[in-house]
Amino acid sequence: MEKGGIRVDPVTIDTTKIKITKKQPVTALDKLNDTGLISTVLSAREREGMILFSTVDQVFNWARLSSLWPVTSGLACCAIEMMAVAMAHHDIARFGMEIFRASPRQADLMFVAGTVTKRMAPRVKQLYEMMPDPKWVIAVGSCASTGGPYHESYSVLKGVDLIIPVDVYMPGCPPRPEAWIYAVIQLREKIKNQGYGAKWGLNK
Amino acid sequence: MNAAEELKNLLPGSVVSTGLQLNKPMAVIKKEELLKAAGKAKEMGFDHLSVITGIDYKDHFEVIYNFFSYNKKQNLALKVNLDHDKPEVESLTGLWNGADWLERETFDLVGIKFIGHPNLVRILLPDGWNGHPLRKDYDMNTEQFVTIGENGDDVVSTDGTNLLRRK
Repeated sequence: MEKGGIRVDPVTIDTTKIKITKKQPVTALDKLNDTGLISTVLSAREREGMILFSTVDQVFNWARLSSLWPVTSGLACCAIEMMAVAMAHHDIARFGMEIFRASPRQADLMFVAGTVTKRMAPRVKQLYEMMPDPKWVIAVGSCASTGGPYHESYSVLKGVDLIIPVDVYMPGCPPRPEAWIYAVIQLREKIKNQGYGAKWGLNK
Repeated sequence: MNAAEELKNLLPGSVVSTGLQLNKPMAVIKKEELLKAAGKAKEMGFDHLSVITGIDYKDHFEVIYNFFSYNKKQNLALKVNLDHDKPEVESLTGLWNGADWLERETFDLVGIKFIGHPNLVRILLPDGWNGHPLRKDYDMNTEQFVTIGENGDDVVSTDGTNLLRRK
């Protein structure tokens, strides 16, 4: 067989003569090594410093979005709509959110429901910092989103996103319960697509 | 004869003029005679001080007291005009206890000083706030932020340190 002036011998391998020399795993550590999980994780850490759990992420995200517990905090008239959302007619319990926690330490979602005045702003920030991770924030109504009708005021913060990160902005003055439920669905979609597995299309 | 004209008949030296404000009797009072006129109004049966308003007219301040009589079902408004340089008027806390917070609010937002008030400090804005926001010469360009101090009290600052996520 000529190839570019160099003679190459054809090589044939007899697969029947190859013997598998790998040991059967006996101990538990051997069995774990045999799965290749540890070497995969270690090599991934060396290569990128990052470990990817697509399936575990999926389970975690499902667990998180299925029972969001909001903190009981209302600042203005949006809080009245929050009560309407929680009551039987619109019934936010369908989303596992019926438990409005009285302590921010047991909550993982914060509705900033109303006008954030300058004097209330450090208290809102303190409430947010008291919540354990993972935590999400929904800015309810035009006041919490941008300052709303009080944008030119001396005493109102121009949007709660100046002090804490916001996940979903809900327009309305105040928002109807339907808008409220739509915002909650948007937040659930966001939580469902959290993590690198979702970002790289592995959770589909 | 409405209540304002009745008051003018009783105290002709104190009442400058009478008229109607939003179809309710109104009397303009000399600022030195306010305590006397308000005491006479209370004798006339105006037992409830509804609200105190302060207005900045750039050359002078105006303070409006709105009274209501539960027995006669009547309204009465008393007005006083104050100097812009020295907005001071006597407090009505001795006659109506409810004047306490109303006068504190007027002091907080308009900056009227009520002489004889037992506790004339800000009621809505935190102590240390710069300026009175409902005055025409209030500086709207410098934004003021509130943070919580070490003792739990409110600290006013213009840069929003420890509060804002980004400048």
